[in-house]
Amino acid sequence: MSVVNYGTREITCKIVYYGPGRSGKTTNLQHVYSKLPEERKGKMVSLATETDRTLFFDFLPLDLGTISGFDTRFQLYTVPGQVYYAATRKLVLQGVDGVVFVADSQSRQMAENIESLQDLHANLAEEGFDPRSIPLVMQYNKRDLPKSEISSIEDLDETLNFRGVPHFSATAVSGGGVFETLRSISTLVLSRLSAPAAKA
Amino acid sequence: MAEKTRELDEGEGGEFAEFLADVSQEIALRVESLQTPSQAAAPVKKTPVGADGGVIIEWPTIADRMIEEMR
Repeated sequence: MSVVNYGTREITCKIVYYGPGRSGKTTNLQHVYSKLPEERKGKMVSLATETDRTLFFDFLPLDLGTISGFDTRFQLYTVPGQVYYAATRKLVLQGVDGVVFVADSQSRQMAENIESLQDLHANLAEEGFDPRSIPLVMQYNKRDLPKSEISSIEDLDETLNFRGVPHFSATAVSGGGVFETLRSISTLVLSRLSAPAAKA
Repeated sequence: MAEKTRELDEGEGGEFAEFLADVSQEIALRVESLQTPSQAAAPVKKTPVGADGGVIIEWPTIADRMIEEMR
């Protein structure tokens, strides 16, 4: 995917929310969608199973209007977290510009977080991205759960954030930390527009 | 319930507006480096002309020379 198209004066950024099943990826997008002013509200596409889990992916187009002469669009995607949707995750990652890894803070979900992170790295590498340099932020979700049930931020960071990328505490269900996370990944993606690796 | 609804109404657009402002600022900061090579101030190519005003004394590129010889 082109991050910036000089011919049509468009900037398009594809951001993928990745993470284990039930970590809150769809909830992040739903919160962003709920805060959009009416005139910017496109259609959020969400394909869910009868058990309300994401089957294929969620897609939320954000039309930000003309900024500094460029029509700017963000495309937010989630991947299905469940292990058996590996092919879909790979497909959604094609042409990605930045990744938000939504980790489940519950201590008992740590293994799933690690597995999903390894899956992300493997899929990025398969798609030709360098997992060590692609824009990435970590979101530690569900911080509203009782302290006895969740890992500390320090533990989560030590276990998952070996790249030392920006990390955010979040309670996506009530919107806490959602826009902070989106702002951070957007800034990281945009900061690469002038980098040699940016595709024209 | 009513309180919750009011909270949502008050917050609507606020977080998005802040996000949009940040993104706009970031793009504005980078806009100069977004210029394409053709839009950047490229040096104007000129076939060098000698001091006598008519004799070309050097050929900066093969393309220039081919064009000249085709005339």
